Amino acid sequence: MVNVAEDQPTAPVEAPRMPLLRMPIPRPPSKLPMPSSECVIRAEDLSIYYGSFPAVREVTLEISSHRVTAIIGPSGCGKSTLLRSMNRMNDFVASAAARGKLLYRGRDIYAPGFDAVDLRRRIGMVFQKPNPFPKSIYKNVAWGAAINGYQGNLEELVERALQQAALWDEVKDKLDKSAYELSGGQQQRLCIARAIALQPDVLLMDEPCSALDPIATARIEDLIDKLKTQYTVVLVTHNMQQAARVSDRTAFMYMGELVEVNDTTVMFTRPGNKRTQDYITGRFG
Amino acid sequence: MTAHFVDMLDDLRRRSLRMAHLVEEIVREACEAVFQADVEKAMRVVQRDNDVDAEEVLVESEVIRLLALYQPVGSDLRLLCTVLKVNSDLERIADCAVNIAERARHVDARTVAGLYEVLRQMGPIVEHMLHSAVKAYGSQVVDDAQQVLLEEDAVDALYGQIIRRLVPEASISPAKIAAFLDVLSVAKNLERIADHATNIAEDVVYVCTGEIVRHRAR
Repeated sequence: MVNVAEDQPTAPVEAPRMPLLRMPIPRPPSKLPMPSSECVIRAEDLSIYYGSFPAVREVTLEISSHRVTAIIGPSGCGKSTLLRSMNRMNDFVASAAARGKLLYRGRDIYAPGFDAVDLRRRIGMVFQKPNPFPKSIYKNVAWGAAINGYQGNLEELVERALQQAALWDEVKDKLDKSAYELSGGQQQRLCIARAIALQPDVLLMDEPCSALDPIATARIEDLIDKLKTQYTVVLVTHNMQQAARVSDRTAFMYMGELVEVNDTTVMFTRPGNKRTQDYITGRFG
Repeated sequence: MTAHFVDMLDDLRRRSLRMAHLVEEIVREACEAVFQADVEKAMRVVQRDNDVDAEEVLVESEVIRLLALYQPVGSDLRLLCTVLKVNSDLERIADCAVNIAERARHVDARTVAGLYEVLRQMGPIVEHMLHSAVKAYGSQVVDDAQQVLLEEDAVDALYGQIIRRLVPEASISPAKIAAFLDVLSVAKNLERIADHATNIAEDVVYVCTGEIVRHRAR
């Protein structure tokens, strides 16, 4: 049987357009849409002294909201000191003194009368080594909110914080167990949940993965990427690949000075300063 | 990054540069083979292309190894990416040289005299472009690379001239069509070599400045 349709002349079929051409390439590391950004923390000619030694020298730096800012540099360059100055953790070091300005949402946190306790509630901190309290998993998260007079539903708060810290599924059936029963990576995520439970504005992270194995590190890095949709993250790290993977902006410090700050992609492909270039390529440090 | 890595990167760069010099020689020999109708030289081009192919694989493997083991950044990353891209350009240039050399016994200067003269003008310009590109790759000086980019227009103009003249001449003398196609083939491969030389020069600009200058109006 002859197929008549095959003998009919057919109109030329126009090749489909290529809709992917010229579409912008999504920029890693963020897989989520980033909210608009504003300046949350601004250091102006900030110097931090330990006694007469200037650990941080006349640094001017802006930290933008909903972005991850990484601070890198060799040991002793002042990056942790700068980080700790952002929520006045240096107050606990007797010889520490600040000169210059450090503005949090426009207010100088080193001005006389500024409430440092309230500041630390708004600017939480996660340390190098996981430091859970010797309490249950639940109490580790709930405690800070409870002593700060949280009026809402504590159980909901704990669940939300643990979910945001990507730990809920692993601990939901053992909330009353000691936090010490968790692995190092889980303990670090618990510390992040503890910080999140206070509903902070900014999270400071001081080498949060240096004590963790690669798998736990990868989970924290994924978590940081998610956290920035709700929080502003400042990360100090020795691990340059980590800074390159998770941050939007990178600041390089050397001997107390801020040498260069730029978009992370630029910093790790074509840094503007020779000292940055030498450091990231391992020529010194 | 360790001093060991820096040494390995330097070794790789020198190795890639040696390959570039080899490819430069192959192109010169291919042009000589065609313009002097030297079949022996043409055969040597084909043989030396095998060396380039083998070297391309070794250089690419080493780039991948260094990327995987050291995750370099900054100028080291730019250099490794450039070595990888230049490696591919060099291999293709050598292939073009083989295509040119394969025409050595066929191109008939008397049959296509007018076109042949234009072809003879293209050869030295393309050789000079490649030489300048390899020199810029070695020196990693932006000004050296910019010189290469300026010469590309001259090659394109001569190639266009060959095309414009070939079409009417071939329609008048269909018996000479095979000779015209030989000229066209050599011209096309010379033009491709010029394109690859331009790519190398653009990659040198990238390794020096971090700026991607491809596809920009010059």
